[in-house]
Amino acid sequence: MKVAPRYLVAVLAVAVIAAFAAGCAKKAKEAPPVPPPAPPVVQQDTTPTPVPTPTPVTPPAPQVTSSDLQPAFFDFDSYALRDDARAALDRDAKLLRDNAGVAITIEGHCDERGTVEYNQALGERRAQAARDYLVAAGIATARIQTVSYGKERPFADGHDESAWAQNRRAHFVVR
Amino acid sequence: MTRRLLSSALALALGAAGAAAQTDVRIDVSGGGRRVPVHCEALAAAGDRSPKVPSALADEVLASDLDQSAVFVITRAWRGDQPFDVQAIVGGRWTVRGNEVTLIGEVRDFPARRPILSKEYRAPLAGWREIVHQFADDVVLQFTGEPGIARTRIAFVVREGRNKELHVMDADGANPHPLTADRSLALSPSWSPDGSLLLFTSYRGGGGPRVWVIAASGGKPYLVSGRPGNNTSASYSPDGREIALTLSADGNSEIYVLDARGGSPRRLTDNRAIDTSPSWSPTGREIAFTSDRGGTPQVYVMERDGGNVRRLTYEVNYTDSPAWSPQGDRIAFVARTGSGFDIYVCRADGSDARLVVGGGSNENPHWSPDGRHLVFASNRDGGFGLYVTDLDNRAPRTLDTGGRLAMSPAWSPRPAGLETAQVSTPNHSNSGGKP
Repeated sequence: MKVAPRYLVAVLAVAVIAAFAAGCAKKAKEAPPVPPPAPPVVQQDTTPTPVPTPTPVTPPAPQVTSSDLQPAFFDFDSYALRDDARAALDRDAKLLRDNAGVAITIEGHCDERGTVEYNQALGERRAQAARDYLVAAGIATARIQTVSYGKERPFADGHDESAWAQNRRAHFVVR
Repeated sequence: MTRRLLSSALALALGAAGAAAQTDVRIDVSGGGRRVPVHCEALAAAGDRSPKVPSALADEVLASDLDQSAVFVITRAWRGDQPFDVQAIVGGRWTVRGNEVTLIGEVRDFPARRPILSKEYRAPLAGWREIVHQFADDVVLQFTGEPGIARTRIAFVVREGRNKELHVMDADGANPHPLTADRSLALSPSWSPDGSLLLFTSYRGGGGPRVWVIAASGGKPYLVSGRPGNNTSASYSPDGREIALTLSADGNSEIYVLDARGGSPRRLTDNRAIDTSPSWSPTGREIAFTSDRGGTPQVYVMERDGGNVRRLTYEVNYTDSPAWSPQGDRIAFVARTGSGFDIYVCRADGSDARLVVGGGSNENPHWSPDGRHLVFASNRDGGFGLYVTDLDNRAPRTLDTGGRLAMSPAWSPRPAGLETAQVSTPNHSNSGGKP
C-alpha cells in the first residue's frame, strides 16, 4: 500500500526532470548564442562535464537585400508599367541576374482609394506585371512569388496624392 | 443567448377585443413610409429592491430598439415627453428576482389604451438584453407583419496597428468582442444564412489572402480555400450549400462557386479583366459582382451559371461593392467620388439609382435582414467607423465601436427559428388576461 505513493513521486520527479531538460533543449535551440555559464567558484574533485553549447553559426551575409531592389510605381487604378517602373525593373533584373541564388516575393500594393476587395485584385495585377517583366528579362519564374496586399499595408500614411503615389507599387522582398 | 432563455415567449391572453384591436393598428410601413409614432412608458419595476439590472436600463434599450427599427418614431415618458398624437403606448412590467428576470411587455392603442399585445418573457439575468430585444422585435412584428432585427449582430473588422482582427457585436453596439487574435489581416466577413458561421479573408499563417470560416461564437478558424493567388470576398449562397468567391488561381481574378466545404470549383467569369466582390440575390439565381472589363470598375449582374451578364447601371460611373437586398428588390453599391465613395441604392434591374449616403468616404454597404437599413464603414467623422442609415432623410447614426478604427461590417441574419416564431397570433387562453 505504501509503495504506490513513493512510486508515484519517483515517476513525477522523472517527469519534472525530463520536462526541465526538454525546456532547456528547446530554449537552446531557439536562442543559439547563449553565453557560456560562469565557471564554478568551488572546484569539485571530479572534472565538471562541460555543458554542450552549439557553435554559433553566422549566416553568410546575403548578396542582395530587399532594399537593394527598387519598387515599380503605378498610376491610379492601373497596372500598366510606366517608363520609370520599367527603368527600375531593368536595374532589378540585372541585380537578380548577377545574383542567381536570390529568390524574391513581389508584393502588390494600392493606395487607399477603391474597395478592399478590388484593391486586392489590382495589387495582384501589379505584382504580376512586375513579375512578367522580370521573366521576360530572363529571370526564372521559379525565383519569383507574388502576393497582393491591396490597400492594407500602405508605405505612406497620408491621404493625399504624394502618399497615394508611394503606395501604388510592386514591392520586392528577398526571401 | 437565445438558447439560454428559460421560456422564450409566452403569449398571454388578450381576449377578442385585443385581437380585433391588433388588426386595426396594423399599418403598412414598408418601402420607407412614414414612421409610426409610439410612446414609451417606463416599465413598472418589481421584485428585488436593488436589482442588478434596474428597469431603467431596459427602458432605454427597448426605446432605442424601437427607434432604430425605422418603423417607429419614439417619445419617452421618463424624459417628460407627452403622448401627443401617438398611435400606441409601449410599456409593461420588469421583475427581477435573484438571477432571473421577467418582462411582461405590453402594447396598447391610444388614446383608448386597449391592449394590442401582451407577452411574457423570462431569462437568466445575464440574458436580460435578449428578452428586451425580443419584445422589441415582437412590437415591430405586430405593426408590420415581420419581426424586427433587434436580436441580430454585426461582424466587422478592427484595425490594430498594421493588422486587422475580426470582431462581432450586437446590432445596437452592445457586447463587442474579438473573434480573432491572429496579428494578421482579417478582411471581408460574411455570415452563413443560419447565422452560425462567418467566412472571412485572412493572411493568417503567412502567404497570400485565403478564405477561412470561423464559428460566430468564436473558436478556431478552418481553411476553406487556400488556392494559389488571391482567395477573397467569399459569401454563402442563400441556401448555405455553396460559396461564391474570387480566385486568381488561373492568374487573373475570376468569380467561382465552391461547395460549402470549399471544393468542386466552378468558374463563372472568364475574361482578362478583374472580376470580384460577388453578392448573391436572395433566390440564389443571380449574382451581382464588380468587374473592370469596361475599363473602370462597374457593378454587373449575371445568372448563377455565369450567363446573361449585364452592367447594372449606366446612371453612375465607377461602381463597386454590390449588396443585394434580402428582399431581392434593390441593390446597394458604392460609386467613386474624388477621394472616396458615396453609397447608392437602385432597383435590382438597375433603374432608379439614388444617392443614399454622401460626405467623406462611405464603403462596404451591407443590408439588415429586414431591408430597412444599411450598415457601412465611413470616415465622415475622421477615422473609419461604422454607421447605419435607415434609407430615409435621417442622418446616419454611429455604431459605437469603443473608439476603435472599424470597417467592413456585415449584418447577421435573424436568429435561427425566429421566422417561425409563435408571436403573431396571440394565444386565446383566458389565463392572465388584463382588463
